[in-house]
Amino acid sequence: MGCHAADGAEVQIQDDELKILLIGNPNVGKSVIFSKLTGMDVMTANYTGTTVTYTMGNVQFIRRKGVVIDVPGTYSLEATSPAEKVAVDFLNNATPDDVIICVLDATNLERNLNLALQVKEYGLPTIFALNLIDVAETQGIIIDVEKLEEELGAPVIPTVAIRNIGLRELLFKSWEIVEKHDKKPIEKLNEKERWDEVRRITNIVQITEDREATFLEKLGDMTLKPWPGLPIAAFVLLISLGVVVGLGKGLRALVFLPIVNNIVVPFMTKIVSLFVTEGILFNVLVGEYGVLVKGIEWPFALILPYVFLFYIVLSFLEDSGYLPRLGVLVDGVLSKLGIHGGNIVPLIMGYGCAIPAILGTKASTSYKERIMVSVLVSVAVPCAAQTGAFISLLGDHSILLLVSVYILSFIALAASGIILNKIVDGTPEPMLLEIPNLLMPDIQSLLKKIWFRTKGFMVEAEVPMLLGVGFAALVAETGILNSISHIVEPLVTNWLGLPKEATLGLLLGIIRRELAVLPLLEMNLSTLQLFVGAVVALFYIPCLSVVGVLIKEFGLKFAITISAITVFIAFLFGGIFNHIGNFLLLL
Amino acid sequence: MCLYNLGKNKKCKIEKIPSNHLLKSLGVREGLTVSIMSKQPLGGPVIIQMGKRSLAIAKDVAEKIHIEEVS
Ligand SMILES: Nc1nc2c(ncn2[C@@H]2O[C@H](COP(=O)(O)OP(=O)(O)O)[C@@H](O)[C@H]2O)c(=O)[nH]1
Repeated sequence: MGCHAADGAEVQIQDDELKILLIGNPNVGKSVIFSKLTGMDVMTANYTGTTVTYTMGNVQFIRRKGVVIDVPGTYSLEATSPAEKVAVDFLNNATPDDVIICVLDATNLERNLNLALQVKEYGLPTIFALNLIDVAETQGIIIDVEKLEEELGAPVIPTVAIRNIGLRELLFKSWEIVEKHDKKPIEKLNEKERWDEVRRITNIVQITEDREATFLEKLGDMTLKPWPGLPIAAFVLLISLGVVVGLGKGLRALVFLPIVNNIVVPFMTKIVSLFVTEGILFNVLVGEYGVLVKGIEWPFALILPYVFLFYIVLSFLEDSGYLPRLGVLVDGVLSKLGIHGGNIVPLIMGYGCAIPAILGTKASTSYKERIMVSVLVSVAVPCAAQTGAFISLLGDHSILLLVSVYILSFIALAASGIILNKIVDGTPEPMLLEIPNLLMPDIQSLLKKIWFRTKGFMVEAEVPMLLGVGFAALVAETGILNSISHIVEPLVTNWLGLPKEATLGLLLGIIRRELAVLPLLEMNLSTLQLFVGAVVALFYIPCLSVVGVLIKEFGLKFAITISAITVFIAFLFGGIFNHIGNFLLLL
Repeated sequence: MCLYNLGKNKKCKIEKIPSNHLLKSLGVREGLTVSIMSKQPLGGPVIIQMGKRSLAIAKDVAEKIHIEEVS
C-alpha cells in the first residue's frame, strides 16, 4: 500500500500491524517525521497548513510492521475546524492497541503542551516527540526532558527530525508502550485549568537563557516591521525574479538549448531517417512540429530551466519561514481585495503551477477565499511553464514587452480581485497567524523537495506536451489545421490581427498554458502581434489539468464557467489591444 | 483600551478577549503580558510578541482585545 489520502477516520489495517497516529500543532515537523519514518515523500513547509487531509504510510521496525498516519496539525481538539474534526475522529476511533506520537515543538512549549494535555485526556498509549530541539538550543531554550516525562507521565523523546535524530527511538518506544500500557482514568481539565497546568509545567521544565538574539532571530524580527520589512520584501522578490529569469535565460542559452539542438535533435533525426522515408510520418516525427523535435525542445530546453529554478526559489522561501512574513506585510493590501494576507502563499505557488495552488487553498479559512484565490490563479497568474514560454517569445525581442505583459497580469489580478470580492458571498476570516521561526532550510530536505517537484513537472507536463505536439504535427501536416483556421479566421485574423497559423496555439493552449505561446515562436510576428498573442495566451484557458482540478474541487459548472470566462476575456482583451495598437500605429 | 491602539514596543496585560476559538487555541488568554512588535500599514495586522513567539492579529480582532498598559 502506498500513499493514501482521504477523508474519514476509519482506516483498515492488518491485525499484525501497529497503528501509529502522528498528532501535533501545525508546523512542528510532523511531515518530516512522517516521511522519514515511512520513506515516503510528502511536502513539508515552514508555515501552517501543510497537511490538510491525512496521509498514511507503512513502517517496518525490527521485523514488526506498522502503519503511520499523519493527522492534520491542530492547535486544539475541539472539533471546530475541519482539521480538528479529522484529528478528533482519529482519536475517538483509536484503541489501546494503537499508539499516539504527539509531536511537540521545543521552541514553543506552552502552546504545544496545551495540545499535549488534551491528547493525554484520551488515555491512549502516548509518547511525545520533542522536536526542533536544535533550534530551541540556538535560541537559548533548555528543556529538562526527565522532568517533562514525569509531568506528562509518558515517554518524551528529543528529536531533530530533519537529521534523523531520535526517530528510531520513537519507533522503539511505540512498540514498547502498547505492550505495557495500562489505562488509567485521566481527569479532564477545562480551558482555564489547562492553561494553568501548562504554565506550571513550563515553569518547572523549561529554562530560557537570556542569550543575545541570533542573526536569524534579529532578521526574523526585522522582516515583520514595515521598515525595514517592506524593502526586505522587495529585495527578496527581486532576487527571486533575478534567479528565475536571469539564471533561467543563462541555463537555457548555455546548457539546455545547445544540448537539445546540437545533440538530441540531430540524433533523433538520424535515427528516424534510418527507418522512415520523407513523408507525413517523417514530418510528424522530426519535421517542423515533429514530436521528437518540439516535443523535446519545448519542455526541456525552453521550459524546464525556469520551472526548475522557480521550484528552487519557492522551496527555499517555504522552508525558511519567510512566506508567512510576506503574508503579514501584504495583508493590508490583500484584505482590500477581500482575502487575507496569508493567501499570498497559494498565489505565489500559482506562479509555479495552478494545481498545488488551488489544492493549497483547502487550508485557507473561508470558502470565499478558496473560490477567490482559485479563480485569481486560474485567470490572471501565469504558471512557471508559461513564464518560460513568454521569456522565449518576448524576452528575446524586447524586455519591455515582457515586462508589460506582467504588469498587465498584475492589473488583471487586482481588477479580478475587486470584482470577485463584490460578487462572491461571505466574509473573509480575519488574519490570525503564528509566525514561524526564520530557519536556514535544511539542504537535504530542500534538495529532495526540489527534485520531487521538478520530477512532478516533467511527468505531468511531458506526456500532454508530446500528445499536444503530436496532435499539432498531425493537423498541420494533414491540412486539417488549414480548414479549422479557415473557420476561425474572422476571429484570429480580423479581430486579433494574428496570422491564421496562430490558431494552432489556441488549439494547443487548451492542453497546456505554455502551448498557447510556443507555436507563436515560429511565426515571425510583429511587436504588436507578439503582445496580442501573449495577452490572449495569458488569460486563455488555464490548461486541462487545472480544469480537471477545478471540476474536482468546485464542480463541473464552476469549472466550465471559469473556462468560458477566461476564453472570453482572452479574446476580448486581445482584440482590444490589437485595435488600439493598430490605431496608434496609424498616427 | 484595545490592543490595536497600543503604541509600538509597549507592553500590556490582556484583560478581555473576544470569543474566538483560534485565538484561544493559539494561547492568547486573559492575564497574559504581551508587547507590540509592529503594526502593518493600510489597516494590516498588529504583530504581538508573547514570550519568544510572534503572532499576527488582524486589526478587527485586535480592536476587540481589551488591555491594560503596563510599563
Ligand atoms: N532545524 C530543524 N528544522 C525542522 C525540524 N523538523 C522540522 N523542521 C523544519 O520545520 C518546518 C516544518 O516542518 P513540517 O514537517 O512541514 O511541519 P508540519 O506542518 O508539522 O508537517 C520545515 O521547514 C522543516 O524542514 C528539526 O528538528 N530541526
